[in-house]
Amino acid sequence: MTRIRVEGITKRFGDTPAINGVSLDVRPGELFTLVGPSGCGKTTLLRIIAGLLEQDAGQILFNEDRMDDVPPYLRNIGVVFQNYAIFPHLTVGENIAYGLKARRVPTDRIAAKVAEAARLVQLDGLVDRMPAQLSGEQQQRVVLARALTIEPRLLLMDEPLSNLDAKLRVQIRSLIRQLQRELRITTIYVTHDQEEALAISDTIAVMDRGRVLQIGQPWELYLTPATRFVADFIGTMNVLRGVVAGPGPEPGEVAVAMEFGERWRIRATGGAGQPVSLGVRPESLHLAPGSNADTAWQSLTGTVTEVVYLGSTVRYQLQVGKGLQVTAEIHNPDFSAMHTVGERLTLWTAAGRLVPLPEERGGG
Amino acid sequence: MARRRRDFWWTITVLGFLTVLAFLVYPLVTVFITSFTGEGKRFVLADNYHRFLTHRYYYSSLINSLYLSTLATLGALVVGTALAFAVTRYPLPGKTFLRTAANLALLSPPFIGAYSWVVLFGRMGLVNRALGTIGWSLPTIYGWRGILLVFTVQYFPFVFLLVSGALRSVDQSIEDAALSLGSPPRRTFVTAILPVIAPSLTAGALLVFMATMADFGTPMIIGEGLRTLPTLMYGEFINELGGNPAMASTLGSFLILVNTAALMAQRYYAFRRAFNVVCIQPLSVRRVGRARLAAGTIFTYAVVAVALIPSLTIIISSFMPTRGPVMYVGLSLQSYRTIFHLVPRAIANTFALTALSVVLDVLLGVLVAYLLARRRSRSHAMLDGLIMLAYAIPGTVVGVGLIVVFNRPPIILTGTWMILLVSYFIRHLPYPVRSCTAMLQQIDVRVEEASVSLGVPPFRTFLKVTIPLMFPAIVSGAALAWMTTIGELSSSILLYSGPWATMSVAIFTEVFSNHFGTASALASILIAAAFVPLFLTYRMLGERAALGV
Repeated sequence: MTRIRVEGITKRFGDTPAINGVSLDVRPGELFTLVGPSGCGKTTLLRIIAGLLEQDAGQILFNEDRMDDVPPYLRNIGVVFQNYAIFPHLTVGENIAYGLKARRVPTDRIAAKVAEAARLVQLDGLVDRMPAQLSGEQQQRVVLARALTIEPRLLLMDEPLSNLDAKLRVQIRSLIRQLQRELRITTIYVTHDQEEALAISDTIAVMDRGRVLQIGQPWELYLTPATRFVADFIGTMNVLRGVVAGPGPEPGEVAVAMEFGERWRIRATGGAGQPVSLGVRPESLHLAPGSNADTAWQSLTGTVTEVVYLGSTVRYQLQVGKGLQVTAEIHNPDFSAMHTVGERLTLWTAAGRLVPLPEERGGG
Repeated sequence: MARRRRDFWWTITVLGFLTVLAFLVYPLVTVFITSFTGEGKRFVLADNYHRFLTHRYYYSSLINSLYLSTLATLGALVVGTALAFAVTRYPLPGKTFLRTAANLALLSPPFIGAYSWVVLFGRMGLVNRALGTIGWSLPTIYGWRGILLVFTVQYFPFVFLLVSGALRSVDQSIEDAALSLGSPPRRTFVTAILPVIAPSLTAGALLVFMATMADFGTPMIIGEGLRTLPTLMYGEFINELGGNPAMASTLGSFLILVNTAALMAQRYYAFRRAFNVVCIQPLSVRRVGRARLAAGTIFTYAVVAVALIPSLTIIISSFMPTRGPVMYVGLSLQSYRTIFHLVPRAIANTFALTALSVVLDVLLGVLVAYLLARRRSRSHAMLDGLIMLAYAIPGTVVGVGLIVVFNRPPIILTGTWMILLVSYFIRHLPYPVRSCTAMLQQIDVRVEEASVSLGVPPFRTFLKVTIPLMFPAIVSGAALAWMTTIGELSSSILLYSGPWATMSVAIFTEVFSNHFGTASALASILIAAAFVPLFLTYRMLGERAALGV
């Protein structure tokens, strides 16, 4: 198993930096995801790691080996591309065997390994087909098998699911995860889909404009985003602003005058007059009134502007004061909990579910 | 991969530049310079140009050429567009036949087309003699009318091919949208469809204009002394009383200027008007009234019949007994016996030189196309432009340029077969380059990157992945180069010497010595030789396309 270290990688296209001093440490055998909006540099970074693009500065290490001068065909990396990049003139079997032939593996062993790989990705019986006869999902399985048969030190996947429809996406996603665990291959996975990133990863790095904003396990990113960008990008986050009004009733607490008029108590330090941004996930806002006496609960009141019924959840948009929209998600809604546009609602949240966010100028 | 090294591809870049500079740019520049020389090879500023502009004998050739090319371009545009539109939009019977027949018209070189019209409607022609027996006669086919007829019939398929291609890429929704917004059909065609196909229309017009400007054989055979730039240039260069290379070069410079200007104008126009059309549902076949359908059917079949007349005339007349220009009804292999006895060398030369030239074109063309498509840089864009220059430069100019340049040390090629090869090679290099570049733009680079990441170094990836995927383009580029090389006349007629005459040269001399039977036999072989590879390509590419490559 290979540990991958990316140290201070910078890449410019003309005057614009596509990657700006990025460092990563990918543990052996883990599935590490680069997630970010399009143009954030994640694919560029992937191509640099694959050796298909040369960095302007920084280095790449596989365990203790520096890879910077190793050409891509000697790096022993399996790459799965977004558009499959299947060889259309070769059969499924020949596609899978392609890397083995380049390594001059004896013919009988190639046959055995191709059969094994085809079985792994559930394509047995299709090895003599031409790619044009396969569906997009089957082609993606071929490309996965092709990348795995060479027993790569590292597997790179560039948006491998983006051309599939929703159901198949989930199927292939679990197949990838299962194979990656079984074969214990260090994998770097690129996606713009935060849900996919949360579902598949051991570790996630959120990228924006050529920089890494936060690295962590999926729940760390979701529960304690380090910046407003991360908070917005991973899931939905309501951002509520206020100003510290003075010390709270308990030690270690402050009272905050919220922009919509309520006075909240949060666990923080800070002098009066200091601006505060608090993040609240939609599912942390509740309809059921908590005990007013319980000082751990905070409330806000607004008018319902939109109701989206999704079966297992119902999503409310509330107008809270002037210019502040808040999203709340109620799980397992029953009839008594259904509200309509125009109603005034009071929502509650536990102080423990509030995420203090750093103030960002022009943030996100 | 991004590193600039003096690797294999660097060598190909240098080789590409050297080839084009030595065999195209240097000869053309020499032609320009020669147009400024006077007696004793001394530099004169504008003597030749002054003579050109003050002597009707000279300047009339420019006027004739411009006049003929402009009218022929308009004629080809009208016929080609109408045919394309009818075949695309009307429910005509036998559409495959119509398409194939229009393509077949491209097979016979234009000068053979000209000659076939002479065989039919010339003074000793079959039709005129038949009419003569009942006391009728037709106006003569010679002169500018004949040239215009041949030009239009020979070159309208360019317009037809490009415009049908463009019409196939117009989405039905464009027409539907215009109609639903209240625009009547005719206005819809002019305001919604015509602008979308305009770039292809102008590209077709450019091809016709440049080809007719450059055509040497047609006015020679059917023009009866009508001077155009290429024929006068030839006459000035090869003159029994001693050639005048300086005046020939002056005429050549005008040819270069006119064609390059036309090319630039079209490029500029098409570049500004390039639309990205996404076509999911191509234009549908319309239901039309019975009268319109009948008119469309008669028109299309009439056009195609006229287009096929030259080839059919040649083939049929090659099996007729002849005496001089007079052909008799009957069946005979006399003409074929004569040519295999008389000019076996010319037939062998043609096949050998064409094959060799096409192989070289494909070898360099494939490699250069890869550079142009995958390693786009300023120098490669320049190489691209220089190679495409070969499209615009008439064969007569290339021929004169090559003679002037390679007639003197350090390299003397005149009098050898190599000078013919050089001309064929450089003039037809654009075909494989174009077809392969277009193909490469459709092949995802990631496929090649996947191969590299699987452990196959770049050059082996090129051989194992890129070449097989480019195969259809290689074949079609080679077929086009073969087809256009094998009947090449305008530079061959200048460059051949003694034993190195080609079939096109032999046909030309046979026509001028009134041996119509042998000319037809040779021309039939030429047409067949051009047809076979194209036919095979059609069949093969049809199968390939089914694989979805």
